[in-house]
Amino acid sequence: MGKQAMGNIAYNQLRRMDTLLYLLVYPQRPLLTTKTIELVGYDKLGAGQNATVAVMSYSGYDIADAIVMNKSSLDRGFGRCIVMKRYSVVLQKYENDTQDRILRLDRKGYGAKHMRILDDDGMASPWEIISPQDIYINKQSPAFTRGTRVPPSELPNIRYKSSKQTFKGPEGEYCVVDRVALYNDRHNNISIKFLIRHTRRPEVGDKFSSRHGQKGVCGTIIQQEDFPFSERGICPDLIMNPHGFPSRMTVGKMIELLGGKAGVSCGRFHYGSAFGEPSGHADTVEAMSEILVNKGFSYIGKDFLYSGITGCPLQAYIFMGPIYYQKLKHMVLDKMHARADGPRVLLTRQPTEGRARNGGLRVGEMERDCLIAYGASMLIFERLMISSDPFEVQVCRICGLLGYYNHHLKTGICSSCKKRDGMSTMKLPYACKLLIQELQSMNIVPRLKLAEA
Amino acid sequence: MDPPPEQVNYICGDCGMENTLKPGDVIQCRECGYRILYKKRTRRIVQYEAR
Repeated sequence: MGKQAMGNIAYNQLRRMDTLLYLLVYPQRPLLTTKTIELVGYDKLGAGQNATVAVMSYSGYDIADAIVMNKSSLDRGFGRCIVMKRYSVVLQKYENDTQDRILRLDRKGYGAKHMRILDDDGMASPWEIISPQDIYINKQSPAFTRGTRVPPSELPNIRYKSSKQTFKGPEGEYCVVDRVALYNDRHNNISIKFLIRHTRRPEVGDKFSSRHGQKGVCGTIIQQEDFPFSERGICPDLIMNPHGFPSRMTVGKMIELLGGKAGVSCGRFHYGSAFGEPSGHADTVEAMSEILVNKGFSYIGKDFLYSGITGCPLQAYIFMGPIYYQKLKHMVLDKMHARADGPRVLLTRQPTEGRARNGGLRVGEMERDCLIAYGASMLIFERLMISSDPFEVQVCRICGLLGYYNHHLKTGICSSCKKRDGMSTMKLPYACKLLIQELQSMNIVPRLKLAEA
Repeated sequence: MDPPPEQVNYICGDCGMENTLKPGDVIQCRECGYRILYKKRTRRIVQYEAR
């Protein structure tokens, strides 16, 4: 999952000003590598952590590639990441010689609560805690940017309108202004960049992957007390469902577990590629099994575990050992979305699309098919018409075209027949009315035949 | 009462010299001419939460 994995991106990563930067808090070097990885220096910049994985079923929250995680491991920093986001503000110069300005702080009055973090220069300072709706720069723009030239010094205060920038981060989260940089851009405008940092610990729904493409989301987080443990006191960091193996045939992951386990017990990094023949560099499974046996483990890498809940030994031996796990940059916090009511598109009067526009969740064609198959016709009628975009139209029973309602005469009038009688009122979705009119505009005449009116 | 607004100092990205800025100034270090300045850490007392 290379590109999506979080880790170190460069040695200067904390001095950079990227638009979006994902970093891991405690990256590690993989216990099991290959010669190639070493030669290209791929392990110099860590992109994951060596997690102790138990391959077993647990709690049902690990179905279909989901992962059960150990809460204490998360407390110790497993999978913890830093998300840095850059926000730029440009103080624009305009045609009529006016320009944007930054106002010094106003500690009183309306909205002073959200101006809390502003410094004496009207900008947020580094290391200040920033929450949603907070203003990080108190900028003002001239109300008129065209026409006669006005030197900025002669522009009165009323001629400025506020264009302060509010922080729109995740609600209820804990963000910090990391750095503030000032520079002149290529048009010689003053630009200010704010780098805002957010530290996240893994939560249910965050995506993880091993290096074998075995990706999965965190299904649940469970107390270490309830986790299985071995006689040596080893407790896994995460539990992975064994059903991920047969169809994917990721033998490499099993070898990685074996090699990693042998590696931690004897204190050296093993090579885990498939080239175990004498001319190759890799360590063979046999060699690693031998190390395991010498260190008192089973040669197949399985451990005798106790249930953390009952304290009884588990019925089976569990395949357990370290596997290099990467945290991928798809996190629920950036994706979660719900809507009850919200903005609509002007043209169709239907809900907007997408999380960024606070859009609705679509009942699509397949969902509609389900409802039809079930026979829930009234539910379709309610969702697609009453709760969506009902629109009252006047239909001419003679020509079948849409008319209009005359508010003076308080009757419907057909615009093609020019008659008042023979009009019926009915409701249809606005999108349907739009379709009829768009067809008409293309010289196709849809006529409505009313069964009861 | 609020204290009167103070001059805010900025740190040069190259030599580390402290600079002040007035409206209309070009952003440039007075010492070495470097064109990126950084804001100093807040002087307010902040308490962070370790989670």
